[in-house]
Amino acid sequence: MDELIIAGRSFNSRLLVGTGKFASCELMAEAIACSGTEIVTVALRRVDIENENDDILSAIDRSKYLLLPNTSGARDAEEAVRLAKLARAATGINWVKLEVTPDPYYLLPDPVETLKAAEILVKDDFVVLPYINADPILAKKLEDAGTATVMPLASPIGSNQGLKARAALEIIIEQANVPVVIDAGLGLPSHAADAMEMGADAVLINTAIATANDPPAMAEAFKLAVEAGRTAYKSGPPSAGRKASASSPLTGFLRE
Amino acid sequence: METLKINGIDRQFPAGLPQTLAQLLKQLNINEATVVAEIDGKIIERQNFAQTKVSNSQIVELIRFAGGG
Repeated sequence: MDELIIAGRSFNSRLLVGTGKFASCELMAEAIACSGTEIVTVALRRVDIENENDDILSAIDRSKYLLLPNTSGARDAEEAVRLAKLARAATGINWVKLEVTPDPYYLLPDPVETLKAAEILVKDDFVVLPYINADPILAKKLEDAGTATVMPLASPIGSNQGLKARAALEIIIEQANVPVVIDAGLGLPSHAADAMEMGADAVLINTAIATANDPPAMAEAFKLAVEAGRTAYKSGPPSAGRKASASSPLTGFLRE
Repeated sequence: METLKINGIDRQFPAGLPQTLAQLLKQLNINEATVVAEIDGKIIERQNFAQTKVSNSQIVELIRFAGGG
């Protein structure tokens, strides 16, 4: 498979994996390994002082995986910028998955605040990967603001509904000059393969892997689906037609 | 009595405040290698934990990574 390049950095995998919702750190680590991913997302939260718990970073080998902190929980640009700066202070990483989701029911991203935060963070030398609704105009504005990718949703986070936003995603892919990472809502490997066949540069999966009965096996299934979809896209798939087109010769039949 | 607001909750220190952020973390049994801190809205780099003084009524945020998508 051809390399994915984000902000000048090359990756052999086109599957990004989220670390939420796993039953244990061990299961998460195994699933990450089986997925073949090279980019894993993490969130920032307050330390639970009364119940000192394990640090998730101890389960992630940072020599193998690029840590991509997200700004989940941010309700506006100011909160997102604060979280991005905390993540950078914690890790030295200037990459951030920008999420501004003030709506608690559908977790839909706020386009105005996301653009505002992206402009601030790009000026502050962050590599910004913004999570957005499937909005081609917003995608262009973010690209113009200097974001490293755009990450439009397929359907609401964790909903497993697949490519509900297909028509708008196709326009984003057609127009983008930065990698398009389809994030959120992909519930099955077939959804991921479909997204890659459409020409997405990468996909991000969390819930569909983490909440499967066997997360490492599902992680591998997504890995294969992403590779299949990308290879199919690069091979130049033929177009669909209304009528049949015989695959076998229409001559030399055994009849009069 | 001296207090700090730590992660949104007022915490009293009857025996007096710890002198530094590093000492506060130790007293709270928190491994400083996994934490990032903010005092009164200002980010404190981990390398400065041992030099950063804490004083009465400051607002302290102690944050670390969690699973997320």
